[in-house]
Order: sequence, then structure tokens, then C-alpha cells
Amino acid sequence: MGETAPETEARKLAEDARDRVRFEEEALDLADQVYRVARRLVSSKEEAEDLMQETYARAFRSWKSYQPGTNLRAWLLRILTNLNIDRGRRVQRAPDMQPLEEGDYFLYNKLEEATREPNPAEERVIERLSQDDAVSALSAVPHDFRDAIVLVDIGDFSYNDAAQILDIPVGTVMSRLHRGRRILKRELAERAVTDGGNSE
Amino acid sequence: MSGFAIDPCDKCEELLQPFLDRDLNDEERAMAEEHLSLCEYCRKRYRFEEELRRFVRQAAVEEMSPDLKTKLAGLRTPLL
Repeated sequence: MGETAPETEARKLAEDARDRVRFEEEALDLADQVYRVARRLVSSKEEAEDLMQETYARAFRSWKSYQPGTNLRAWLLRILTNLNIDRGRRVQRAPDMQPLEEGDYFLYNKLEEATREPNPAEERVIERLSQDDAVSALSAVPHDFRDAIVLVDIGDFSYNDAAQILDIPVGTVMSRLHRGRRILKRELAERAVTDGGNSE
Repeated sequence: MSGFAIDPCDKCEELLQPFLDRDLNDEERAMAEEHLSLCEYCRKRYRFEEELRRFVRQAAVEEMSPDLKTKLAGLRTPLL
């Protein structure tokens, strides 16, 4: 004998509740990873924490729009970046496209020079950098470029995922990443060389 | 014979990022690998770049506070 209408309704409700709980647990399991990215997309810990709460509140409300089997971490980051823009926490502006003089070897060359050793090993060169310099240099990179670096180099997202999260073409992700890394190296060079000069 | 038309180290510098991102075609990759096998100057800079990416990645990590974790868990839909 088949189910009655109320029985069907009750079964659906129970299934929904089970799926929702599963979704919420999976999303919470990813919170550490989402936070690591969120923290570097905004400038302060407080902003990152607010954004995480808004993101999870929205994700839990609209859990049915997530397609099971797709990348949940990317889905959460998409919500987070949209909220970040919607709430005016960052000013959208045209990316800085002025020519950059420095190439990819610029940082190494500067640091090597600062070691004052002939032909030093790479380990000696990277020792010129401090973790604080890395964090402050990253936050000095303009938003559009930093978003690409944070998603791909720190969040380990593919170019495609980063393009979907930021709602820009894949080619734009690649060019921002390429340029952003060079800007980051320029910022690191400024900090490391200044620090080295102070300590000697 | 090298496939580089301009200064080979300049060309190798240009290929650094796509090389490490595994984003070069076979010809470009072979060109970069050939040059790197001969040039210590570029080899050092490539190894440094790899190390630098790891360094920035580790430096950028800041863990979420237990308090925030609790707040997020509190946002779950209450079970009826």
C-alpha cells in the first residue's frame, strides 16, 4: 500500500532536515580553510570574523541552492567575496595597470645584494625575509591582485575556481596573479632591504 | 641550439611564473628546462621562487579563534 499525503509530506520534511544537517556539518568542517582565505581578503581580524558570520548565516539560509558534489569551499568563498563587495568594505576600482619596471628576479637580486656575500645560497637569501614582512607586503598589494594571490597561492584554488569566485574570466585571474606576485615581490624587497639596513 | 631569440636569462625570467604554475606548452617547457640545466643564475632564482611561495603561504596563515568557531556552529538551524 502507498503512502498517504501526510506521510509523504512527513518523509520529505525528514529528508530535508537530514540533508540540511549534513550540509551544515560539511560547511562547518571547512570553516578553518575558509577563514584562512577570508583573513587575507580583508585587512583586519574583526572584519574577517564579521564576514565569516554573515557568510555562514547566508549559506545556512540558502543551503538548497548549493549543488551537492560541487566544490563547497568555492561556493562559500563566492558568498563571502560577494558580501565583502556588497557591504562596501572594499572600493571597487579599475586595476592599477601602470607598467611595472621590476621583473620576477627583482626580489632575489635585491636580497642577494643585501647579504653582501659573493654568490650566496638561496637559503641565505630567503632568510632576509621575515613573516611580518610577508604579511604586511601582502596587505599592501591592491585588492584586485591580492584576491587572485590569496585564492590561488594561499587558498589553493584552481584558476577556474578563482574565476568563478571572483566572477571574472580565467585569463583575468591569470594576469592579475602574475602581476600581483610581482607587486608582492616589490613590496617584499622594500621591506626586507629596509630591515636589513636597520639591523646592520 | 637554444630556442631563445633574446637574452636567454631574460626569457627564462619571463617563463618563471608559468613554469612553476605548470602552465607552459611542451615547447616552452623544454626551452626553459634546457636553459635551466645550463644556467646556475636562473636555477637559483627558480628555486628561490618556489621557496618564496611556500614562505608567503605559511606566513599568511592565521587560525580562526575558538570563539568564532562556536559562533558559527550557533548559526545552524535549530532542530525541531
